[in-house]
Amino acid sequence: MAERPEDLNLPNAVITRIIKEALPDGVNISKEARSAISRAASVFVLYATSCANNFAMKGKRKTLNAGDVLSAMEEMEFQRFVAPLKESLEVYRREQKGKKEARKDKDKKADSEEQDKSREEENDDDDERMEEEEQNEEEEVSSGRWWS
Amino acid sequence: MAAAAGAVTAAAAAAAATAAEPAAAVGPGEEAGAGSLCPGPLRLARLPLARVKALVKADPDVSLASQEAVYILARAAELFVETIAKDAYVYAQQGKRKTLQRKDLDNAIEAIDEFAFLEGTLD
Repeated sequence: MAERPEDLNLPNAVITRIIKEALPDGVNISKEARSAISRAASVFVLYATSCANNFAMKGKRKTLNAGDVLSAMEEMEFQRFVAPLKESLEVYRREQKGKKEARKDKDKKADSEEQDKSREEENDDDDERMEEEEQNEEEEVSSGRWWS
Repeated sequence: MAAAAGAVTAAAAAAAATAAEPAAAVGPGEEAGAGSLCPGPLRLARLPLARVKALVKADPDVSLASQEAVYILARAAELFVETIAKDAYVYAQQGKRKTLQRKDLDNAIEAIDEFAFLEGTLD
């Protein structure tokens, strides 16, 4: 395999579409220019990754997070990207949350039949636990620990 | 290829499908090719996350990257493409051309500080 990182290209069709949408109607782009921009985008990602990784390491983290990427943008003098990226992140998070809940509901539905059987037993356990907790709370309050 | 080896996320599949059929609208928040109708930040990434992830993994110093990080990198790369295309186009306009050429890109890279990191990398 031994590919150079810069050779990992992003799909031409998508790159072309982004370029066309950024430029006025009727403007064309030569093949060489398109492929150079595609390559530049790959280099951008590599550079941004390296930069973001420095922030992660500074924070003693092994996992690159979105904040690190945003910090990298500022470091690379692409501050103007930060605001739109933050908005995109919000949209992305909402979407992920929606997907997660959809999956949870799906799982709930699938498991509900099995759970019905064991649900009675679970309820009994819960009731016992709740009673214990209430007793503990009363003790703490009376000893005045909350206000010490 | 790295892309084939990587896990394909749902977003990547959606993006790939969109790339194949520009006329068809895929997924929430994505509009068919008419990106100009919807403000930039509200679009989900069109670049396939699997490919971006492959680039991130190419860095030997990186251990792990969160899904969000990969997504934001993809969006940032899109913004970058838009930016550099527009900046290069200025030079095409100066040359009274309606076709963006490689030399326009080279001019933009030389003239604009933020693109300095690209010098020597595109050949």
